[in-house]
Amino acid sequence: MPVNYQQFQQQLREKGKQAKAQEKDRRERLERAQALLDQRAGDLDSLRELVAEAARRDRGLRCASPLREPLTYRAGANPPAQNPVLFAADGSQVNPSRHDAVEFGLINIGLIRMTPGQPQAPRESVFSTLLLFDDLRSPQGALTEDLVALRRDLYERTRLAEAARSEPQPVVALTDGPLELFGEPKDDARYQETFNQYLDALEQTASMNVVTAGYVDKPRADLLVRLLELSLLSAENLAQAGRERPLFGVTDNQLFEERLQPGERSAVFAIQSSSAEKFSQRSGGLALHFFYLNVGRAERPWLARVEVPAWVSRQPEMIDLLQHTLLGQCAQLGGRPYPYALHRAHEVALVTFQEKEQLLTLIEAELRRQGVVIGQKSYKQAAKDLEGRGRL
Amino acid sequence: MSELEIGRLLRAGTTGCVVGCRVQQLGAPAFGGMVRIPLEDGVQVYGLIHDIHIDDDGLVRQLVTAPEVSQDIILDNRQNRNVPLEISVLFIGYEAGGLVSHLLPPRPPLSLDAIYICDETEIARFSAAGRFGYFRHVLRDPELPVGELLAAHLQQAARAHAQAGRQDWLRAATQELIVLLRDDYPTLMTVLSTVSEIYPE
Repeated sequence: MPVNYQQFQQQLREKGKQAKAQEKDRRERLERAQALLDQRAGDLDSLRELVAEAARRDRGLRCASPLREPLTYRAGANPPAQNPVLFAADGSQVNPSRHDAVEFGLINIGLIRMTPGQPQAPRESVFSTLLLFDDLRSPQGALTEDLVALRRDLYERTRLAEAARSEPQPVVALTDGPLELFGEPKDDARYQETFNQYLDALEQTASMNVVTAGYVDKPRADLLVRLLELSLLSAENLAQAGRERPLFGVTDNQLFEERLQPGERSAVFAIQSSSAEKFSQRSGGLALHFFYLNVGRAERPWLARVEVPAWVSRQPEMIDLLQHTLLGQCAQLGGRPYPYALHRAHEVALVTFQEKEQLLTLIEAELRRQGVVIGQKSYKQAAKDLEGRGRL
Repeated sequence: MSELEIGRLLRAGTTGCVVGCRVQQLGAPAFGGMVRIPLEDGVQVYGLIHDIHIDDDGLVRQLVTAPEVSQDIILDNRQNRNVPLEISVLFIGYEAGGLVSHLLPPRPPLSLDAIYICDETEIARFSAAGRFGYFRHVLRDPELPVGELLAAHLQQAARAHAQAGRQDWLRAATQELIVLLRDDYPTLMTVLSTVSEIYPE
């Protein structure tokens, strides 16, 4: 059956009526947030104390915390003294499915090495890890999609650390998405082990002084907005942070969209959150910081959120190098700016549905050669695979 | 015999084939160039390149919108990425048991068969055999840029024959074209006007 367009249209019309009022409300909140941002731009010490106090009262507090630069700070990109070697890693995975004839998983990491400013073809590598038999389950339970994703993040990080080892400084290492990890379940021993290995890999990168960053395209974070909300709370209400949301709906992106000129970055902020705390507890300056960067054009601003570890943000020349490199990379993709190297790493890593089917055939053939009886795909999956009427 | 491989076969039919090649291999083949495809049974299929097609993809379409594309990214797209590059070949004859025939080959080549550029000796040998029978393969296809294709081929073949001391080959080939196209005046005029451009002053 197709979509019930009659019902859909009716619901759309009703929702549409709300849009104007919602937009007006959001505009008013944004104006309030903008005014608050200007007003508190220089109160760095008191805002830091406020965050510390609120975090003491609420362990789950999530917001930005100012570092050295005023909240409204903006900086253009200074050309670096030396062009870096640039690495970008991205991962793709096949999640194990009990509906397949043989349950298996795969983690594929694409790695791109570029030397911006030099007429050299980039180097691409791909690293594949098969997950089969014991890799898929342990006494703690089956391998979940979150655990596969966490391992993918770990492999991206370790590949970058290995690749950077043999390169002369400066080296920039990029991944897509935040450095902070949000996988669940956090109380699972396997999660803890892999997460610690992830932090180990970051520490290794720190020991090599590699400019490490996570690039978040089209961010919807409201970390700075939450900081501003904190400043609206009275001392006795501080425990209500994150629950009382007078600026709800406003994003950091909206705050900076009209403030940052093309090529400019915002101030660097620290992330206050329970998961970010695990990074700060490690040695080597792993605490998570971030800034916003306008990679767009004058007529069409486009903001990215760039997460960096503290060892990077403490060295202004590294932030300059990162900003300059990201702008150069984004400029290569013209009207839809995004780091070229990250796109290529994704392209290299991507495992298509057809490839997954080929891998499954290879696994089945090998198991048959070994005399193992192969199961069948689930009847549910078999029914779904029947040639249908061409609908999505 | 030339061993300059330009690519491998993607797909083929009775009258022609499409060859895929890497961008680095693109220096050698040219429009109108003659190619040879050795088959497993010793048969050599001959053809003319009538189209070189460079496809785009989403990333390339986006890269062209950038004000400036840096050299490393150009190299990346030419050397690392799977830029689809296809060469279309029109079959014009074959060789079996040392004899050149201007008929269509008995069977088309198979996927991934290697394609080689013909050297001047091969071009002269193939085009000297028979009485220009292979021209009909070019003239038959209304989709082809007939005049341009013949002009490119005649120029190449005339040079090969001149090397071998046969200066009159181009004149004889043109005469044959006039005979073949005597009932198709518009095409004849197009072909002659194009071919006239390759005649030595």
